[in-house]
Amino acid sequence: MNYEVVMGLEVHVELATQSKLFCACSAKYGADANESVCPACAGMPGMPAVTNKRAVALGIAAGIVTNSQIARVMTFDKKSYFYPDLPAGYQITQYAAPVCTNGWVEIETEAGTKRITLKQIHIEEDAGKLVHDNRTGTTLVDFNRTSVPLVEIVSNPDFRSAEEVVAYLEKLRALLRAAGVSDCKMEEGSLRCDVNISVRPAGQQSFGVRTEMKNMSSLKAIVAAIAFESERHIDALETGSEVLIQETRRWDDNKGETFSMREKENATDYRYFPNPELMPIVISDEWIEEVRAALPELPHEKYERMTAELGLPDRDSRIVTGSKNLSDIFDGTLAHYDKPREVVNWILGDMLSAAKGINMGEGDIVLDCQKFARVIELADSQAINRNVAKKLLGLVLADGIDPDAYVKEHGLGMVGDTGAIEAAVKEAVAENPKSAGEYKGGNQKVLGFFVGKVMRKLGGKADPKLVGRLLRDHLDKQ
Amino acid sequence: MHQMGDFEEMAMLDLPSDERAWVSEQAERLLAGFDALEGADTSEIQPLVTVLDVRNVLREDISAQLIPREELLSNAPEQYDGYFQVPKTLV
Amino acid sequence: MDSYLRPGGDAVALEDSIMQKGQPVTAGSKMLENFISPLDATVVERLRGQGVAIVGRARMTEFGVARISGDRPEGISGAVDAVADGSARWALCNDVFGINRRLAAQNGVCYIHPTYGTVSRYGLVHLASSMDQIGVVCRNAEDGFALLGRIAGKDANDGAMFPEARYDYASTGKDITVGLPEAVIGRAGTAQKAALREFAGRFRGAAVQIPLFPLVKQVMYILASAEISSNLTRYDGIKFGYQAPRYRSLKELYTNTRTEAFGLDAKLAAIMGTMFLSQGYYTRYYDKAMRLRRLVKESLTFAGYDVLALPCAIGDDPYENLSLYALAPLAGLPSLVFPQQRQGIQLIAAARNENALLTAWKSATKSATKG
Repeated sequence: MNYEVVMGLEVHVELATQSKLFCACSAKYGADANESVCPACAGMPGMPAVTNKRAVALGIAAGIVTNSQIARVMTFDKKSYFYPDLPAGYQITQYAAPVCTNGWVEIETEAGTKRITLKQIHIEEDAGKLVHDNRTGTTLVDFNRTSVPLVEIVSNPDFRSAEEVVAYLEKLRALLRAAGVSDCKMEEGSLRCDVNISVRPAGQQSFGVRTEMKNMSSLKAIVAAIAFESERHIDALETGSEVLIQETRRWDDNKGETFSMREKENATDYRYFPNPELMPIVISDEWIEEVRAALPELPHEKYERMTAELGLPDRDSRIVTGSKNLSDIFDGTLAHYDKPREVVNWILGDMLSAAKGINMGEGDIVLDCQKFARVIELADSQAINRNVAKKLLGLVLADGIDPDAYVKEHGLGMVGDTGAIEAAVKEAVAENPKSAGEYKGGNQKVLGFFVGKVMRKLGGKADPKLVGRLLRDHLDKQ
Repeated sequence: MHQMGDFEEMAMLDLPSDERAWVSEQAERLLAGFDALEGADTSEIQPLVTVLDVRNVLREDISAQLIPREELLSNAPEQYDGYFQVPKTLV
Repeated sequence: MDSYLRPGGDAVALEDSIMQKGQPVTAGSKMLENFISPLDATVVERLRGQGVAIVGRARMTEFGVARISGDRPEGISGAVDAVADGSARWALCNDVFGINRRLAAQNGVCYIHPTYGTVSRYGLVHLASSMDQIGVVCRNAEDGFALLGRIAGKDANDGAMFPEARYDYASTGKDITVGLPEAVIGRAGTAQKAALREFAGRFRGAAVQIPLFPLVKQVMYILASAEISSNLTRYDGIKFGYQAPRYRSLKELYTNTRTEAFGLDAKLAAIMGTMFLSQGYYTRYYDKAMRLRRLVKESLTFAGYDVLALPCAIGDDPYENLSLYALAPLAGLPSLVFPQQRQGIQLIAAARNENALLTAWKSATKSATKG
């Protein structure tokens, strides 16, 4: 029998604010344990909550880039449960009136384009971090992430394959990064994903039993977990090997399997109720327009500009606009050297491979665009040859060297003097009479050998094309 | 249907029997008094969450450290190496 | 002449729910017996900034949760005691259930419960967030409002406040009409009634209906205990305060700590509040009470009267009396309790119309002195 896998996603994205959602503690990632914590976010009594305006604005921005309906009035609720990562015993979240509803994101897969519809986006506080400590046999609690603002983006059960899930997460990440909503770093936990999954026989209308896999934090794990869990569901349906129950499961990355949480988590009554400490927030059209006006160019807008206006290839434009960092590097470099095609070729070619060479991930690349533009310009104007340019690019990337100064200091400028090149050509031919004879005999391949010889004599500082032409002239004359 | 014991457990309490008896007695009296609420028709009334009709109380996104970590942790019954400390949460 | 100015006693006592940096703050609970305040409450900062001395800390009922069963007094108030015995000129406290207002009336001092959202609660141990409001115990209302003027006004650290930066409380000198809810007054004892009539006799009176009065205590108990149950979840023995000496698991740490450290009234409120907010009961109790709260608030119109006059007791059952003290916090209204013929009278005015309370009080006191 054929089965259809049905999935919905809940994506948690930490908002790019300076401070936390309801207090002034720093929201920056990476501080020492409990360094960014105050009495309020440690759950101490007597500390009223006051909402961070920027967090609301970023919630609105998340709604704009996902084509969502922005609420006229949004409110906060309390969600209660006892756990050490939740110092107040409740999380402030949005239950009755979230900031956004009814959005959609368009994804592209091998099968074509598809709209993933969103149920809602709500703003809430993050929880703290628990570290299981083997030395003491206890659990250690760090509240640095407690009350860091995040949005939870809840999709409808529109996904039918892991490929769609990955395409959606990548698209969402690109949109949210471009809009400055979040840095969306899965490895730092600023983008996390819960996957709801059920399986049904193809053609069946009603949904199967749904399980939820919580807190997935890498695309690889998500793909593997979906594969495992859908197999488990299908097995259960086909063989009756186990009875599926609606439950929360956790993915074990080492074992490569999901396991039931077994805790009472599945039966928790969260006792949601409106938070009387926080006044409703009215979102005016003016506020929405203000947020919209401040948004940078979005990926699909940039894609339009790159392909339609700048005439760049579809594939290249897609790669550049798929990454906030590459996108910024493209704009930054173009501002200093207005040749889009050259810039794109350098970014996707030598720049990415140079970065890979020094173990820089695409998102981590930090590049002085002005210097990068200068390297491209030097190469284009043939002031340096391509190999020198690549070397310079590597040094700009790793050490931030000044290309002009470096070229001058190390004498890497191209030998433009034809006389000097001709002298080297004559020398090389005279030193290798046998090869010269082969060329005469019709073996064109030998030319490459001679170009190498001449380049070596010139310390690599000549235009190989010019060397080739002068070599041919000289050999043909003989 | 829930028993009072369920709510006691949800509230993370485990009362000694004399206290439990007193709480049950009070609960019974209170709940009996709530029957009077059923008579009031509120279907057309919006719930009132807060009496204040103030809106958009927001603060600017500026970060500051209010107290140093030592002070924050100084009230903790158990702490270790800059962390609060609790019994193992996962087996 | 300021007869109330007594040398040596010009200082404020703070109920033990108001934080002073570096000092213990217990809110009357074993749960916080070793908790040291990490910072100063805004009211403390404001008092200091204006050179008003703080004389000490006053005992209180645990978290301010009243005993409503009648098998014991509903609570204690060190704040009222301090002003009554002259050891402080004023005392600040939070009075949701009316413990302090009732005791003020019994001990011959005044209590000003300001409009919700006019005094910062930054540094006040939470009780019921939609009703928490720091008030002033004082020897007379004029002196109390003078102090209130120094601490009231918007604080950026409290998200539930009116925007006004400061308030100047003053008698308007205008004639006051007193609203008299006969159905409620009729339930008071003879002495209470006499005191009220004597007071009302000096003003123009207007008959007032509070149709939902018979439901007020229920609405109050449901909303307050729900909010209390939520504000008490922070007490878990992990970050601060009491921790049970013996536990074998995380759950035991929570349960033993809370069972050992909370008193009976806090436990009752926590359990009942948890029930009211739980899935099966939310609509029937909590949601219903929120709707009734709106009706109660809207029924207090102040159309045709400036202040509402109420007795300070209608019998001995504290739960019945809760109805009297619940009106002001449920509707967020200012209220003044003051002694009258060795009885207490409670006045309630429209939101931010504290001046009507002061005007009525002054006018009553003046004519009493003359007469």
